[in-house]
Amino acid sequence: MTEAAVSAAVAQPSAPPRSFLPLPLLARVAWRNLGRRRLRTAMSAAGIGFAILLVSTFTALQTGVYGAWIDTATGVMTGHWQAQHPAYQDDPRIADVVPEGTALAARIAKLPGVVGATPRAEAFALISAGERSFGGLVHGVLPGREAELFSLPARLTEGEYLPREDSAYLGAALAANLGVGVGDEIVALGGAPEGGVAALALTVDGIFASGQAELDRSLLQVPLAALQEAFGLGNGAHRIVINAETGEDDSGVGAAIAAALPGGVRLLDWQTLMPQIEQSIRFDRITADMIYWLLMLLVALSVVNAFMMTVFERTPEFGMLLAIGMRPTAIVGMLLLEGVGVWALGALCGLALCVAVVVPLQVVGFALPESEALAAMNEQMMMPERLHPALGGKALAQAPLVMLIGTLFAALVPALRVRRMRPVEALRAEE
Amino acid sequence: MNGPAPTRQATPGGRLPLRLLVQLAWRNLGRHRRRNGMLLGAIALAVAGVLLLNTMLRGMEGEIREVVLDNLTGHVKVLGQGYLADPGIEHGFQLPADWPQGLVSEEAFGWAARLRVPAVVMSEWETRGVELVGVDPRREDISFLGRTNVTGERLADAEDRRLLLGRTLLEQLQTAVGRRVVLVTQGADGRAREVGYRVAGVYESDFRALEKVFAFTGAAALQQTLGTNAVTEVSVRLARSADDDAQAATASALATVFAELAVLPWQELAPQAAAMVAMADFGVFIYFAVVMGALVFGLINAMATAVMERVREMGMLRAVGMRPGAVVAQVMLECSLIMALGVALGLVVALAVFAAVADGIDLRTFDLDKSLEQLGMRANFIPVLTVADVVLVVVMSLALGAVASLFPALRAVRIPPLVALTGGRGEPGPKRRRRRDAAGDNP
Repeated sequence: MTEAAVSAAVAQPSAPPRSFLPLPLLARVAWRNLGRRRLRTAMSAAGIGFAILLVSTFTALQTGVYGAWIDTATGVMTGHWQAQHPAYQDDPRIADVVPEGTALAARIAKLPGVVGATPRAEAFALISAGERSFGGLVHGVLPGREAELFSLPARLTEGEYLPREDSAYLGAALAANLGVGVGDEIVALGGAPEGGVAALALTVDGIFASGQAELDRSLLQVPLAALQEAFGLGNGAHRIVINAETGEDDSGVGAAIAAALPGGVRLLDWQTLMPQIEQSIRFDRITADMIYWLLMLLVALSVVNAFMMTVFERTPEFGMLLAIGMRPTAIVGMLLLEGVGVWALGALCGLALCVAVVVPLQVVGFALPESEALAAMNEQMMMPERLHPALGGKALAQAPLVMLIGTLFAALVPALRVRRMRPVEALRAEE
Repeated sequence: MNGPAPTRQATPGGRLPLRLLVQLAWRNLGRHRRRNGMLLGAIALAVAGVLLLNTMLRGMEGEIREVVLDNLTGHVKVLGQGYLADPGIEHGFQLPADWPQGLVSEEAFGWAARLRVPAVVMSEWETRGVELVGVDPRREDISFLGRTNVTGERLADAEDRRLLLGRTLLEQLQTAVGRRVVLVTQGADGRAREVGYRVAGVYESDFRALEKVFAFTGAAALQQTLGTNAVTEVSVRLARSADDDAQAATASALATVFAELAVLPWQELAPQAAAMVAMADFGVFIYFAVVMGALVFGLINAMATAVMERVREMGMLRAVGMRPGAVVAQVMLECSLIMALGVALGLVVALAVFAAVADGIDLRTFDLDKSLEQLGMRANFIPVLTVADVVLVVVMSLALGAVASLFPALRAVRIPPLVALTGGRGEPGPKRRRRRDAAGDNP
């Protein structure tokens, strides 16, 4: 059939002076050519598959980890967005409040795409129990709202989360340093906005261990009203903390919130609030991308080499094809199709292996190796305990596409030599 | 070429001298300059890539370690029992003036005794929690304090009653050099002390968190304020050349002297940093496996082709008596030779790139300083190239080249000389093997 088709194509009176092979035939010839050097085809495809497997698998891993990392980190207490006094983020002063914080939070919570919003006031204070005193940061919160939106209330190790108006919820290290436990009384002393001393008498009702040394050592939460009253803040809050359905920036939630804010209030995204997380992700991406590109470049180089060998070996054959009237572009096309064939083999194997590895992990997740130091590091970096890779379109498509372009380029460079070939010289080329 | 010709008479069994084999391999490589050039380039790229990635990893590892050692930790620290869980003056200890410092070994760069207690600092406007550290400034060349930039004045000696604050804390307190702040802390008798301090100077650190935490004053002055003559820690910093063994030796020497106290290496004081350093050690092998894994397919491909297109030639050599071992050796030599050349070229490229960035890469340019701060690194990132890593990569690459060449080499030997000579053009695939079996010429 092939020969008949070729001769038919060549002999057709209406065909252009140099024969023109139909694409399906060209594809079949290309496919058969791949079978002529099975080892070479297998090695090139294996290289492509190896690169796709590694890059796709790790991209899926990164995507999953980053998303969970952002949610875990912002979920402790920072939130995806915060509305603040314009100067507060860079220079937190107690006088710089957002007025009517509770009402504003309620309005923001109703916006589409927003999961919830809660006001928070804060003040640095000297926290004392008996003769012992330590510096700490006091958060005034709405306990119910806070527990709904953030994970810190759930990090309770002892007692209850702010059951009364004079309750205090404090970090385990701070409690140990003060030498207090549940039921003990403490006093927080700080400077009020208008000068003078503000004092809060509190009962320790709950103790938390967040895993983050700084929070455990210095944070104390109290009901919002108590803090507002003691420090004379009125209805003001320092932060309106907002959780959106997703931390991804493309949902337009930010614009909607910004539009709902009164003048003199600034909206900050989690990237600004937790630059260390955003930068850590970027740092990780940059280093990983360097390895990915090196990996794919190396494989592309080996594919170029393979095609160079192919073109070199088949020079007499190409001379013959040219002599019987095949167009150089058709030969280049055939080589490109061979490239696509190699790529397809590699991509199929690579992606199949990637799916086989990632899908089970996506379902059950995996934990980092058991190690106290690693676990402590995870908590400090606010990483989730179990990691689930996310095999999305990007992870599945990116590496195969890059490798396709690389393979086509690798096939094209040596193939272009065919255009310069003279049939007679090529025919005589030493096999 | 002098010396005995490789004839059967001269070397029974067709054994070829190694020199000749090397020469042959070298010439064979020259037969396909473009292909081998490309392969050479790929090997060089892979080797340079792995080495440069390693320099980054090592740089990170070294940086994390240095920062931990610098930030008042030192290699080994002597602490009062219970101080870590409850840092305060009640867990301090007496340091005898005649403690046998010689025991710290010759590796020690220096040591410092400090009195470190939690305190609250108050300006007219703001209140913050800090760690008040009493130091002898003359001993602090072992920590960042000895090298940091100070605006205003440094502490003069252990009797200095003034305060040295971090830049960030100073800004938060809205105070200035020369102004007074009040510190509240707990005395040795358990009662609160409220003491006024004049700010002598402001120090700067690469870590804003650190600038917020530490306030320094003279150790003797602080002891007097707190009504004690105890210290809370002795930190020992070893010389840069000191290895883990030297550190362990120092730790055990200290443990003998201070039998009642806790002697802890930095790995236990900063387990997160130690975990990251351990991961960096492992990462070197992962990079190698990934990058060289990508290379190996191209290497096998090129060598297999080199073998297959020379089937007739090899058949002829075998027919005139070259041993199969010599054929294998020749292919492996070719592969090792090109690998060695590629490794050498890769080394040159890596060294050139490394030389260009050896002074450090300022990561602020890439807006990454906050992430580094979280990791415990400074913004100026200095890559580190160690001889051990270079040797490791070179040896592993050469070994990989030899192993990768085994496959094509064995293929070359599998083809019987007669088949090869009569135009067996290549791979003895199943069809050809069946044909051969039918013809009865399969040995």
